[in-house]
Amino acid sequence: MIELEHIVKNFRSDNDKLIHAVNDVSLKINDGDIFGIIGFSGAGKSTLVRCINLLERPDSGSVKIDGVEMMTLKPRELYKARTKIGMIFQQFNLMPSRTVLQNVAYPLRNMTKEQIRKKVRELLALVDIPDKENAYPSELSGGQKQRVAIARALANDPTILLCDEATSALDPQTTGAILQLLKDLNKKLGLTIVVITHEMEVVKHICRRAAVMDAGKIIESGDVFEIFSSPKHQVTQNFVRTTSNLSKIDTLIRDKSPIVKLKPGEVMARLVYVHADVSEPLISYASRAFDIEINIILSDVEIVADSMVGGTVVIFNGDSEKIERTMQYYRDKNIRVEVIQDARA
Amino acid sequence: MPELKVLLPNLIKRLPEFWKACGDTLLMEVWSGSIIFVLGLIFGIILTVTKPGGIMENKPVYQILDKIINLFRSIPFIILLTALMPLSRAIMGTAIYVRGVIVPLVFGATPFFSRQVESALAQTDKGLIEAALSMGSSPFEVIFRVYLRESLAPIIRAVTITIISLLGLTAMAGAVGAGGLGDFAIRYGHDRNMIDITWVTVIVLVIGVSVVQWLGEYLARRNTH
Repeated sequence: MIELEHIVKNFRSDNDKLIHAVNDVSLKINDGDIFGIIGFSGAGKSTLVRCINLLERPDSGSVKIDGVEMMTLKPRELYKARTKIGMIFQQFNLMPSRTVLQNVAYPLRNMTKEQIRKKVRELLALVDIPDKENAYPSELSGGQKQRVAIARALANDPTILLCDEATSALDPQTTGAILQLLKDLNKKLGLTIVVITHEMEVVKHICRRAAVMDAGKIIESGDVFEIFSSPKHQVTQNFVRTTSNLSKIDTLIRDKSPIVKLKPGEVMARLVYVHADVSEPLISYASRAFDIEINIILSDVEIVADSMVGGTVVIFNGDSEKIERTMQYYRDKNIRVEVIQDARA
Repeated sequence: MPELKVLLPNLIKRLPEFWKACGDTLLMEVWSGSIIFVLGLIFGIILTVTKPGGIMENKPVYQILDKIINLFRSIPFIILLTALMPLSRAIMGTAIYVRGVIVPLVFGATPFFSRQVESALAQTDKGLIEAALSMGSSPFEVIFRVYLRESLAPIIRAVTITIISLLGLTAMAGAVGAGGLGDFAIRYGHDRNMIDITWVTVIVLVIGVSVVQWLGEYLARRNTH
């Protein structure tokens, strides 16, 4: 268990201004969890994750890992504790003068050559890159480099893996593969994974719980599904919007696209699923029950943490009263209805 | 070899002295070079790790070392040679010949090499340091297993440049009684106008520099991946 309490970390900028990189953050991450910390760049998330292994020492606050207070450890004890907290980075940070084998062997201590070779091979098999042990990092692709970095981070059988924008330098396909690997490792090894990212996609793909960071503070945290389906804070809403196609409607309206031009009496609305069960045929049922036409313009439903998230943009066409009743019906079904345009008289 | 006698009349007559001069220059290079290598490496590392943001940040140590290095780098070597004569006598027992010039050579080239090492180490990717620390490396481990190992190629280049510039300093040292090729060329080539001696000295030095340069580049390349 990782427990951060009231973490504060300030920096002095070049012109001597005080920057509150992390401003009174408290956070609890359970064993075996995949926890996302998402924020736009400069939000302080990289500093926060470095406070976990004390690569950045907080100015104040408490960092407890499995109940052990890290802040008061002696240097030797801290180095030892760090071997149980793996970390991977955006730029992989493999040592260019060492082969893959030597890189993965870097953190291994007190072992014979044979033991090291055996351990490294196990690790490379684990991250699914078994045939590259004599290659130099410069000969590897980005995805391969990150796999080697993961193997190296796992060399001392850590219980925690910190990922600092680990997929941000990779293309979408490779990102998917690396995230899948992390997910597998989490399951296979019971590894607690902390993922720092500015990409909602990443959080959506692997995290169970997440925190949203802005200006050094955690502004929202909880279940990924909850954050996704009903973002409370403006910054979180912006994040959710970056991944949802539903926001495209705003662009279409701005560009006066003919698709979104309403006839008199029509109403355009965004229907957003807030609750986990959207299995009911809500559109066709409402259309029949209230005797109106419902025209789907855009639809975007995704699976997040094994639940559906998303919604549709529709145009209601019919009697004004009936449209009103339809929308009320949806609201009763826990669907958020946002009227985008209203062309009723 | 009668042709050589015609071509290099003065040199042929002073061959034993020439070989000795070559040997003295080599001796000065090796002795002072070894000491400079060790000291410069240490100072370069200290500068790197104690500088603001370094892994063993220490303002007083960095500031003092930084200033001392600047001080010695700003003194022209020929002045340093004479200024350090008392120190040289105290340490080595003499201020002349090869023994007497080691001290000024060390004082003259160590600051230069320290700076070279500092800039070689500065090329190490900060991310590598961070990765090593995250894996539980102590600062000393980071120095030996990351900084020195990963900057091997630039350090080899720094050594090459220093050996070559040290050769220039040994020639100057010849002027105050150190012996060596510089002294040989000045005494005969310049003072007695024996042009062939000047030219042969130049050729020997060019060959020496070329060999050092080639070897350095070869080793640096072999350590770049």
